Amino acid sequence: MFDFPIFEMPTIGLRMLMAINAIIHTFVSHGGAVGGSVVLALAAWWTNKRGDMAGYETVYRLLMVFFIITTSVGALTGIGMWIHANIISPNAIGGLIRVFFWKWFIEWIVFNFEVIILLFWFMTWKPKALTPQGRSSSVKLGVFYAASSWVTMLIITAILGFMLTPNFDGQPWIDPEVYPGNVNYNNALFNPTWIPGLMMRTFSSIAFAGALAILWTWILTTFSKNEEIQETKERMIKFFATIMMVTVPVAAAFGYYYLLQIPEAARAMIPTAMMTRAFADKMDLMHTIISGIGGTVVLTTIIAYFSPKRMPYIAATLMVSAFLLFWGYEERTREFIRKPFLIYNYMYSNGIRVTDVPYLNKVGILKHAIFVDEDKKVVKEDKSNLIEVGHTVAQIECRVCHTVNGINGLKALTAGWSEAAIRNRINNLPGGGTPYMAPFVGTEAEKDALAAYIASLNKRGEIK
Amino acid sequence: MNWKLPFDIPLVVPTMGLPGWFFDTLGVIVFVVHIAFIYTLIGASTASVLYNIFGVFKKSKTNDLLAYKMTNPTTISENMGALWGVAPLLVISVLYTGFFYTAILKVSPHILHIIYGNIFAFLLSYAYKFSWHALHNHKGFHIAIGLVAVLTFYTLPPVFMSMSNLYLQPELFASVQNIWDIMLTPLTFFRLINFFLTAFAFTGIVMIYLGVKWVKAGGEEAEVGRLAIDQGKKWFMWAAPVNIAVLPLVFFAFTPRISEAYIHTPFVFLPFLASAVLLILFFFLLKRFSHVEMNASDATKAMVLMVVAVALMATARHGIRVVSFEEPLQLQAEATEKYMTNVITEYKAHKEEMKNAPKVVLDPAVSLADSKGCLACHSVDTKLVGPSYKEVAAKGEAADVLIASVKKGSTGKWGETPMPPQTLTDEEAKTLIEWVLKQK
Repeated sequence: MFDFPIFEMPTIGLRMLMAINAIIHTFVSHGGAVGGSVVLALAAWWTNKRGDMAGYETVYRLLMVFFIITTSVGALTGIGMWIHANIISPNAIGGLIRVFFWKWFIEWIVFNFEVIILLFWFMTWKPKALTPQGRSSSVKLGVFYAASSWVTMLIITAILGFMLTPNFDGQPWIDPEVYPGNVNYNNALFNPTWIPGLMMRTFSSIAFAGALAILWTWILTTFSKNEEIQETKERMIKFFATIMMVTVPVAAAFGYYYLLQIPEAARAMIPTAMMTRAFADKMDLMHTIISGIGGTVVLTTIIAYFSPKRMPYIAATLMVSAFLLFWGYEERTREFIRKPFLIYNYMYSNGIRVTDVPYLNKVGILKHAIFVDEDKKVVKEDKSNLIEVGHTVAQIECRVCHTVNGINGLKALTAGWSEAAIRNRINNLPGGGTPYMAPFVGTEAEKDALAAYIASLNKRGEIK
Repeated sequence: MNWKLPFDIPLVVPTMGLPGWFFDTLGVIVFVVHIAFIYTLIGASTASVLYNIFGVFKKSKTNDLLAYKMTNPTTISENMGALWGVAPLLVISVLYTGFFYTAILKVSPHILHIIYGNIFAFLLSYAYKFSWHALHNHKGFHIAIGLVAVLTFYTLPPVFMSMSNLYLQPELFASVQNIWDIMLTPLTFFRLINFFLTAFAFTGIVMIYLGVKWVKAGGEEAEVGRLAIDQGKKWFMWAAPVNIAVLPLVFFAFTPRISEAYIHTPFVFLPFLASAVLLILFFFLLKRFSHVEMNASDATKAMVLMVVAVALMATARHGIRVVSFEEPLQLQAEATEKYMTNVITEYKAHKEEMKNAPKVVLDPAVSLADSKGCLACHSVDTKLVGPSYKEVAAKGEAADVLIASVKKGSTGKWGETPMPPQTLTDEEAKTLIEWVLKQK
């Protein structure tokens, strides 16, 4: 991290910048592409099989909504994940691309199938809807689209699993004492949380897509001027609810299985991850929220299944909102429990490799900080640049998680602390209180500078 | 030269034993496909709005239909363009990791415009396409939507090209501080002119190609096809001449180190060759200028020539990479090797030290205090955020009072900073407080 130019995101911080893109992407890619493709292909097959042409038309209208959102917001936030990762942790994404280059390349080839089939499916739907042969070939396109969407998820979950559990039961993916690092690609790929994570995601995506389809069916059929389309509301909602009745419990079961595969140290972080640190102790509240989200999904699914005609708009919205909350929490938790690492046991959250720590502790984190001005690297004898040096250390080691004044701001976190208290705190960052923090890396002089800088934040503007 | 380069990623490049030229060729091919779609996107979205406006003013249904038909290549090329942008990104990030990421960081956060600005333009272009019939009687509003979409698409190349120009010239990492430092340079200016003119010329050929197909289909489409062929020729012939002149200039607008070295490589002929191909295509179309219809084989020939010109430009651009990166890659490899040797030596020494270090047996109360996070704010003998344990012991409060303070939190006893309530069992609290009271 120290060897790249420094970019700070004021107020919202880098983590939030990434989270905005990541959460939008998860919503769209899981609900729109992976789950949506399965749900829409099933619906097209079902309506066509029953000769229900009005239902078939409703599926087309749903596909249009899914097509627009997936190909614009979904695809571009997917590329956005890379660009955001570049900005926030170039060393981490650079490492991941070295390890997973060919898998990503294969994923890209599958993406081609996915996008081209989707374009074909959507753009040829209308002319093909006229004949039975056309419709059956259209349904086939839907099935291929669903299959290729799923394969892209298959590969990306391997990479996410790798970041959490890179080692395959004692078989390391890399020898830290060799340069250039020779990667064991098989151990990296076949990591213990890959398949459980994939299964959990697959089924909850289909369930989520079911919820989205119910909401959109409600909107499209209610506001349609065509009576036949209006009448499809009941049977289409019932159909999507049936999909959910199956996938919701399966997703929950795989979710539990996934949980069991997570390393113990990471699992212990879940309460903090779910809320913020202040809520870490309020397990009751956490359980209430989880049951609230789960209960809403189950309850609205049951309503949709047994009373599709009277399914109120508010229930459909609640259903989708519950899923949005679920994905938001799932993503936050999965990202958080990996702390203090970005790639478990290999690289800390701030992009510093574990192997580099002893050397950097000896020579200082700023010695090789190439893009930092020379006069901000070493504390001068008269200590005139102490705070500037401390600021640089903070930019390099703290900025990924902390802003100065905004979210998780250093200023508010240390209000009322003396410089000695701050320095003591820096000494045991990953200690009992905050096991998710990466340790301080650098020399004692740099530690002094960092403490002086953080202490200076609350002194500014004080009337002397 | 004041080089500022990050270290390389200390992991092997996963080439699978394939030679360097394989990745170079792969990079150029995927880039050509990507840029061909992007050219079409820029041109087709422009054409769609332009002929929509013509349709209104000339009261021409044919113009309106051409405009509507151009939304299809727009949709296809925006999807395929984004998709094929991923492959060059992947190849470049694995081969030139440090340079590429440094450039992106230097032009941040503006570079995020290629994500969020693009989403905005995408959604508007879909709105424009899918509201065509619904807004048929509200042309002004409809055209406004299309125009905003097109103008937003136009803002993307300057941003992306700034990043790419910076990454191609690593010697500028030391001096360029933000996106404007690189955007407002002659190089970006020349490359943007070249980009937009090529986009319009390319779209002209695409229109001819589609026009021939539509003429073949007959009926109402044939009329649109003839218009597309006629307009396509004009698009190309307006855009090509200036481009023929600007194209070779682009390659002399890089930094002196790069441009001077470039002259001594065979790559220097490629931009001139690309200009020559465009010139041939110009005369090819000029000869057929008065033909209302063109045959399919002529349209294919024109398309092949255009793609050849684009491929030559892309290879010429790859030449810049070859020339520019040789020295910095070498410097980077040397610096990284030196750094990693130090790192690994120190890491091994540290591991050895840890192995031989005597195991410290801590008082169970101390381990408990550490695991509960007490030591973040307290120490035994110095006041930190909270009082030292010696001070607490000296004050002589009863154990029950202190246990309650730990479990429920407390404020006021030692100043205004509150102590938050802690989660621990009665047993644990008792152990800790007994230990604290011993610290007199």
